[in-house]
Formats: sequence, structure tokens, C-alpha cells
Amino acid sequence: MELETWIRMAAISGAALSMGLGAIGAAVGEGYTAACANEAISRSPERSGEIFKSMLMGEAIAETSAIFALLIAMMLLFTGSGADPITPYVLLSAGLCMGFGAIGAGIGSGLPAGACCLGISRQPEVSDRLTTNMLIGASISQTTAIYALAVALMIMFLNLSASPVNPTWAAIIGAGLAVGLAAIGPAIGEGRAAQTACEGIARKPQAAVQITSLMLLGMAVTESTGVYGLLVSIILVFKSFPETMALAPAMSLLGAGLCMGLGAIGPGIGEGFAAGEAIKWVGRNEAHAGVLTRTMLVGQAVSESTGIYALVVAFVMIFVV
Amino acid sequence: MATAQIREIQKKYCSRALMLAIIAFFGLYLAGQVAMGKGLLLGTLFSVVNFVLMGETLPTRLAPTKRRRITAALGSMGMRFALMAVPIVLAIRLDTYNLATVMIGLFSVQGVLLADGVLRRRTWPEQFSESE
Repeated sequence: MELETWIRMAAISGAALSMGLGAIGAAVGEGYTAACANEAISRSPERSGEIFKSMLMGEAIAETSAIFALLIAMMLLFTGSGADPITPYVLLSAGLCMGFGAIGAGIGSGLPAGACCLGISRQPEVSDRLTTNMLIGASISQTTAIYALAVALMIMFLNLSASPVNPTWAAIIGAGLAVGLAAIGPAIGEGRAAQTACEGIARKPQAAVQITSLMLLGMAVTESTGVYGLLVSIILVFKSFPETMALAPAMSLLGAGLCMGLGAIGPGIGEGFAAGEAIKWVGRNEAHAGVLTRTMLVGQAVSESTGIYALVVAFVMIFVV
Repeated sequence: MATAQIREIQKKYCSRALMLAIIAFFGLYLAGQVAMGKGLLLGTLFSVVNFVLMGETLPTRLAPTKRRRITAALGSMGMRFALMAVPIVLAIRLDTYNLATVMIGLFSVQGVLLADGVLRRRTWPEQFSESE
């Protein structure tokens, strides 16, 4: 088959993966928001206007990652790409990167939006604060999708014509998988933290400042495995690898990307649980915020350890094997 | 009443996004970057249309049965995303519009939402001291 045909096939497959996977998270997140809005309206029909407003705003933010995926899909389909043997791998990797990267952000942004709708039904006087907290939490949940977008654009526009096809093809695919898969867990975990923050503010508005501060701290720590994925991805994209006909070095680079990508999912979700529960109980007992925060941080550090193991193994695969 | 409140929020954020885009367009025009300005304006316009359509389809997505909710959500997303693909394709095919600014413009309503939320957060400490 001619190179042009492979390039066209890769562009179409990449676009399909980008938009197909990217739509999953946003649709789940928006559907969850609508379900919570239904419950909230049934509890407080007289507040339906404010609940609709928050639902609309939350869904607009949750949709952002799917718009990123749409952008990459359209660029893959309609922009001309190089005619190098590495080009099909570049196009496929960009699609995988953005497709996976958008899943977690969509789900994560939907969680605080739903909690905001329920909170308004319970405590309509604090609807402004709830909406603000929801917007901030949902936006932070989108950051890992932004990492995936940045790497997808980098992969697409970098000139790799001088790089040897083998093992660069594996490095490029690995880079896409590293940041794309690593974006899933932290985004869902951050969404969980923002969700419980909205619940806590609705329960006890006087503790809003402590709750929001702890939410931001918890989300910052939860983001770390997403950053590890970005780091591995950047190393794989920019490091030059010597040409080889053997398959093992290439599989090592692909393995590094898979290792970091999959290894970041669990810690991201786990740290999000830890942050979420700490925020929930600080809302009920703000006098003991200090010890609750310490417990959260210790729990998150332990949960992070498997992500660090994945990072170390990924580095070994890139630099040693 | 719910519809009136949705319209109110759509007017508030869409008008701000368009106003900022028009101001940016004039700035870029005077700086000689016409394609960038047009791209930003085009992206913002479709971002506004997307947000308005989201509001219009809201009641259908709160349908009583799960099947109808899923169908409405998927149909709404499909239609809106097909519409949002138009400015991207235009920017790719024509030199009249800058692709990067079209992409930025497509997120203008989200940006205005977020900026409003962050600015409102600054009044929290005063609100608490007032309520106490």
C-alpha cells in the first residue's frame, strides 16, 4: 500500500479516535449533571430557574474537553500533513492522545456541576457561592485535558523527518498514550474533590473559605500523576533515539508510555477520594481542619506511591533498557 | 420563569463574550492582524451559538425517561458539534481566518464564565462578615 494511503488512513483513524473517545467523558459528565438537576428540581421546583442556570454553566465547562477533541479531529481530517514514513504514527498518536485525555476531564467536570444543582435545592441562599466553586473546580478538572491538547498539537507540528522511523514511531505513540491515559484518573479525582466541596458549602456556608482552600490543595496534589504523564510524554517526544532495526528498543519506548499512562489512573482517582472525604468532614468539623488536612495529605502521598513506581519504571524503560 | 432565567444568563455571558471579541478584533485590525481578528470573531460567534443551543435544548434533556434523556443529550451534542466544526474547517481551508484564534474564540463563553466566577469569589470574605 502506498504511503499516502497509510497517511490518509491514519488521519481518519486518529480523528475517529479523538472525537469518539473524547465524546464519552463530556456526555457522561453532562448526563450526570442533568440527572442531579432533575433530582434538585423535584426537591425544590420553585428554584428550577437557578438550577437550570447552574446546570447550563456546568455543562458548558464539562463540554470543553470534547471541543478540544473536536479541534484535533478536524485538524487531522482537513490539514495537510507531511509525507514522511513517520507521519501515520504521528497522526494516530495525536488522535489517541486527545481522545483518552478528554475522557476524565468531561466526567470530572460533571461531578461538581451536579453537586452544585443539588446544593442549590438545599440551600438556595448560597447559590452564587456554589456556582463560583463549581466553575473553579470544574475548570481545574480540565487541566489534564489541556496537557493532552498541548502534546497532541506538539506531536502534529513537530518536524520529525530527520528522526529514524524505528524506534521513533514507538516513542511518538508512547508519548500520546502517556499523557492521554494519565489525564483520566487525576481529572476524575479532582472532580470528586470539587463535588464534595460543593456539597460541603451547601451544608455549611460558613465553612466555605476552609472548604475551598482544602479543595484547591487536594486538587493540586491529585494533579501530580497527570504531570508525571506529561513529563514522560515530553521526554519521549523530544529525546532523540538512535536508529535500530531491533524491535525491543521500540517496544521499550511504547511500554514506557503505556506504563506511565495506565499507572497514573489509579493514584489520580484514589487521591481524589482522599481529598473528597477530607473536604466533606472539614465542612462538618472545621475546628479540626488541621488534623484532617494532614491525614488527607498522608493518604494522598501513600496513594501516589504506585504512580511514582510507574514513573520510575517508565524512566528505566526510556533511559536504561 | 426557568426559561426567563436561562435567557438572562445567555444574554449576560454571550454579550460579554461578543463584546470582548469585537474589542479584540479592532485591536488586532489596527495592529494589522486582520485574519487573527476575523478568526477570533468567527470562533466567538459559534461559541455563542453553541451556548444558546445548549440552553434551548435543556428542557428536552430533562425528559422523564432515561432513554429520552440519553437520546436528547446525544442528539444535542451531535448537532452542536457538527455546527462547531464549521469555523474550524473554514479556518483550515481559507486564509481569511487564522486557525489559532478561531480555536481560542470557540472557548470564549467558557472563558467569560470562568472569569466571572473567579471575580465573584473575591467578594466571599465580605459576604461572610456581612452575614455574621
